[in-house]
Amino acid sequence: MKNLYIFIVVLFIPWSFSLAKYDEFEDGDDIMEYDDNDFAEFEDVSEDAVTESPQRIITTEDDEEEATVELEGQDENQEDFDDADTQEGDTESEPYDDEEFEGYEEKPDASHSKNKDPITIVNVPAHLQNSWESYYMEILMVTGLLAYIMNYIIGKNKNNRLAHAWFNTHRELLESNFALVGDDGTNKEATSTGKLNQENEHIYNLWCSGRVCCEGMLIQLKFLKRQDLLNVLARMMRPASDQVQIKVTMNDEDMDTYVFAVGTRKALVRLQKEMQDLSEFCSDKPKSGAKYGLPDSLAILSEMGEVTEGMMDAKMIHFLTHYADKIDSVQFSDQFSGPKLMQEEGQLTKLPETKKTLLFTFNVPGSGNTSPKDMESLLPLMSMVIYSIDKAKKFRLNREGKQKADKNRARVEENFLKLTHVQRQEAAQSRREEKKRAEKERIMNEEDPEKQRRLEEAALRREQKKLEKKQMKMKQIKVKAM
Amino acid sequence: GAMADPRRPGKVARYKPPATETNPALEDPTPDYMNLLGMVFSMCGLMLKLKWCAWIAVYCSFISFANSRSSEDTKQMMSSFMLSISAVVMSYLQNPQPMSPPW
Repeated sequence: MKNLYIFIVVLFIPWSFSLAKYDEFEDGDDIMEYDDNDFAEFEDVSEDAVTESPQRIITTEDDEEEATVELEGQDENQEDFDDADTQEGDTESEPYDDEEFEGYEEKPDASHSKNKDPITIVNVPAHLQNSWESYYMEILMVTGLLAYIMNYIIGKNKNNRLAHAWFNTHRELLESNFALVGDDGTNKEATSTGKLNQENEHIYNLWCSGRVCCEGMLIQLKFLKRQDLLNVLARMMRPASDQVQIKVTMNDEDMDTYVFAVGTRKALVRLQKEMQDLSEFCSDKPKSGAKYGLPDSLAILSEMGEVTEGMMDAKMIHFLTHYADKIDSVQFSDQFSGPKLMQEEGQLTKLPETKKTLLFTFNVPGSGNTSPKDMESLLPLMSMVIYSIDKAKKFRLNREGKQKADKNRARVEENFLKLTHVQRQEAAQSRREEKKRAEKERIMNEEDPEKQRRLEEAALRREQKKLEKKQMKMKQIKVKAM
Repeated sequence: GAMADPRRPGKVARYKPPATETNPALEDPTPDYMNLLGMVFSMCGLMLKLKWCAWIAVYCSFISFANSRSSEDTKQMMSSFMLSISAVVMSYLQNPQPMSPPW
């Protein structure tokens, strides 16, 4: 009997050795298992694998007593051996390393704890994994940036091509009408640069000058922001078109006094709100131009009926009807000062400067998907501009019209003065106070006591005079009132 | 019949750039906003160590550049761009883990 037991114990030793070695290889995966087995008797099963493993190593190596207790506890769990057998194994296993019992303890407990806890594989932090897949967000970001850069280059080139196509189409007409075509203001001499002035990746300017009637003409090619990907995406929701804006500054003697606009109803409503001159002189809502044969899409804003009659001659009507789809707005005004300035309450002391101007805004056909060929279709519109310049010079109001116009302008000025009356009074008052203060300071700073006295007396006398004057005025008013 | 030549070389006026200083409403505010936003995001990304802030800052500075006027200072543009790039680089040096999506 005793021999049998010795034989079983001897078998145990190599088996536990093999298990111990096996465990060392699988250290990473079985950390959780180790801990549960160790502390199964002492504590409730705890989930914290990482913190417990160092504790476990220390206790098994240091505490012999615990080792024996564990062995005994484990004996209770054993299903394969009688208590008598394990007690013998106890005494003989003490001289061995504690390490041997790592595996030994584990195996019976493994079956015991298998039902209690699932194996959790600890996650290796992602940056330690040598795979690019975990960086997919970064790759997405960089791809987005590359897409943005690509769109920038493509959009910039497209705008550039459109601008030059426009210029090539219009060059001849412009050069035959203006002495100076293209100027950026930097050259010492006024020579034609013959080139567009690039302000932006989507705005190109051209200044033409040297013609009868007008001071100059500024053409602005306001393209869509094709170079900005955000804008491109926004335009997919809300289509918009490129615009060509032409502003002709007329000489003072070459245009009579009137305010007139024609264009799409939507544009006119907006302009009437925004533009200083249209809001003040054209009080009616945009009227339909059907009376003159204009299509329904166009409406008219005018200062007085006579102006409309004068403006709507056969050629103008022809232009407007044929190219109605490309016209956004046309504005002739002698009181042009741009959009209404948002000024703070107390700052408006004088009317903004006005200039006699013809303002044209055209939409490029294609609604965003334009090609350089579309620029040719804008050429007739430039002819309309030239025609309008000559017409504005020729058109003169008759006597009645002129009277009305002058009255209107006087009325607007008066309204403005009334509004600012309070501000101007305050400004004058503060100026007077400033003067007084300056004088007082001068008196104080006077070193010579004689001079000081004299100046003081002079100031006193002046004040007395002023007071007398005021009293006189008050008396006069009282007399008048009576 | 031939029309008289309308050109008058003697009456040439020079181009004067429209004074946008007096009319700030006419200017497009996008590049300035984007510049400011880019700087705010890169500071957030640097201080709070948020990677997504730094990436958004890079995007903002690109958008600001695309919308900028040619008369504008390239130094400002370059500085905001460099700041956003440095925010991204610093966030990754401090914490090499990849960015986790918000969902």
